[in-house]
Amino acid sequence: MSDFKALSEAVNKGDTKTALVEAQKALDAGSSAEEILNKGLITAMNEVGDKFSKGLLFVPQMLRSAKTMQECTKLLQPFFQEGDVLSKGKVLIGTVKGDLHDIGKNLVSMMLEGAGFTITDMGVDVSPEKFVEKTREVKPDIIALSALLSTTMPAMAQTIEALQKAGLRDKAKVMIGGAPVTEKYAQQINADSYASDAGSAVNKAKALLGIS
Amino acid sequence: MKPTEVPTFRPRLKVLNREQILAIHNAALEILEKTGVKMEHPGALGTLVSAGCKVSDQGWVRIPAKLVEDALSSAPRQIDLYDQKGNKTMPLVNGNYFYGTGSDATFTVDVETGERRRSTLKDAANFAKLVDGLENMDFAMSMSNPADAPIEDIYVHVFAEMVKNTNKPIVFIADSGRDIAKIYQIACQVVGGEEALQKKPFILNYSEAISPLRFPENVMDRLIFCAEKRIPICLPSGSNAGGGAPVTLAGAMALGIAENLVGLVVHQLVGKGSPFLFGPNVSTLDMKSTIVSYGCPEWSLTQAALADMRDELYGLPIWAYAGASDAKVMDAQAGAEAMFSIVTAMLSRANLIHDVGFLEYGSTSSLEMVTMANELIAMSRFFTDGITVNEETLALEAIERIATGAPGSIFLMDDHTFEHFMQAQFLPKLLDRFRYDSWEESGSSDLYKHCNIEAKRILSEHQVEPKSTEVLKGIEQILQPH
Repeated sequence: MSDFKALSEAVNKGDTKTALVEAQKALDAGSSAEEILNKGLITAMNEVGDKFSKGLLFVPQMLRSAKTMQECTKLLQPFFQEGDVLSKGKVLIGTVKGDLHDIGKNLVSMMLEGAGFTITDMGVDVSPEKFVEKTREVKPDIIALSALLSTTMPAMAQTIEALQKAGLRDKAKVMIGGAPVTEKYAQQINADSYASDAGSAVNKAKALLGIS
Repeated sequence: MKPTEVPTFRPRLKVLNREQILAIHNAALEILEKTGVKMEHPGALGTLVSAGCKVSDQGWVRIPAKLVEDALSSAPRQIDLYDQKGNKTMPLVNGNYFYGTGSDATFTVDVETGERRRSTLKDAANFAKLVDGLENMDFAMSMSNPADAPIEDIYVHVFAEMVKNTNKPIVFIADSGRDIAKIYQIACQVVGGEEALQKKPFILNYSEAISPLRFPENVMDRLIFCAEKRIPICLPSGSNAGGGAPVTLAGAMALGIAENLVGLVVHQLVGKGSPFLFGPNVSTLDMKSTIVSYGCPEWSLTQAALADMRDELYGLPIWAYAGASDAKVMDAQAGAEAMFSIVTAMLSRANLIHDVGFLEYGSTSSLEMVTMANELIAMSRFFTDGITVNEETLALEAIERIATGAPGSIFLMDDHTFEHFMQAQFLPKLLDRFRYDSWEESGSSDLYKHCNIEAKRILSEHQVEPKSTEVLKGIEQILQPH
């Protein structure tokens, strides 16, 4: 049994090399992969998230920590057992049809992944049909839609309508975000949640699924 | 005594030396030749390929430096924008500078309640009217992404509102080749036809590519439309340091310039000699909030650098920003950031300077902020005009009169003061210089309050010369959904 202090510190610093060594040490010492993930990596990333939302960290530092966590998760992959609780939930994410902007969407993906969600990133210019198709295949808990342009915002509404028509709307929560998007717009188009930035996207996603 | 005639030095900011300029330019050319660009417009792609560009297996279009040089030499050195009555009010050339508002703010600070709320068509009208009534605002942009306009024709509706509420030049946004054609129709209505519009354009299109190096189809539709119709256009990308571009300013500039040059190459291939306003937007992505900053020193620095590159290399009129802020309300931060960018844009002689009046990193527009900026521009202009040195301003005779005159002689009483004080001094209208007691007696109001009152006064008193009923009817017809 370990408190994963050194591992946590390495994730906090975004020191991938040390983190990988510490994760391996924990495995060698008999900790389970699930325990290392949940008590070591995700706990550390929660600390990072807290520090970030308090303005104590800059985005590149936070992303470096998230990347460190990803690398460690890869190391743990072969050691996970059936029945391990490995994900906070599955998120299907993409920038809607007609919009090619992806910086915000990518940032949200990294943050959610760092918080323990499993991400399926569909990229940019994703049509409602493609969202429907992928929702059937992946069965996400959350569908996250991004748009930067006011002229592509209607594609968010169209995507939600398409999910409705396909009988999938109540199978997943829908959250939206992007520069022109507002809370009110989210309500108008029958989305479940709106996040104003990547940090709050994590909190909103957790709230949607009732987890902390 | 011989009159003293001395040429006036007008303060000018320089931030790059020739070696830096060439290094950034060469880096931009290298990006185009080695990395290339993603051109998602089949027509534009075809044009580039016929002109000699090679396309990689992954679809990256590599653009040789020769094409860039050709485009730089065929684009006009001067773009003249006219007001809607046919007066040449904005000759964009050399060191001429002009200020105007920005586009597409999601929110507006309500001038009556002070509340931040979703912007509407009425706001687009109000901002245009305010611009019309302010002497230092030279052109209008919408300042509003209205919640109450049909989204497929949102830019057509804001354009119509602007035309109805100002006769100054308009910088406009469009979504695609479809709505830009409608906006063009309205513009033709206003001046009496295509030929008149081409001869005396009062519109300039603002479009954006996507950094890094992506050129979407609808953006290129607009560029090609403007090149063919000879409507002036600028095509900055969002090559913001740390966001769409590298975090270091030199690299972000090189990328942004490369992207601008792609636009210029396609533009000149389609419409040789058509007017193209040069200049990327190189601000920074804030490393905590991830907003693109509208109050940072970096953006002012990169556009000062671009002005140096214009002088040294490009020779084309340039696009810039100023008078905006990341502050959420019009507070001390808003004043500081607005002034910083206004005075540096002027001192570096950027030509078309937009975004005046934005708060909240461009998400919120404020009539008070525009009104304040109008005064800050006047203040900066006074500084930038330098010190006139001649016999009259040296005023040796006045000095002698007062120094050796009868007891009680003061400059305030002298004719020289009476004759010169209006030009010799900057006379503020809104900035408070009253003595403490009078300030207190008049309500202890701050600059925000002064600007609020002044903005409301202009909205209620200023008369915009109206468009003819014929023009208004024509506009209504174009606005009808088909």
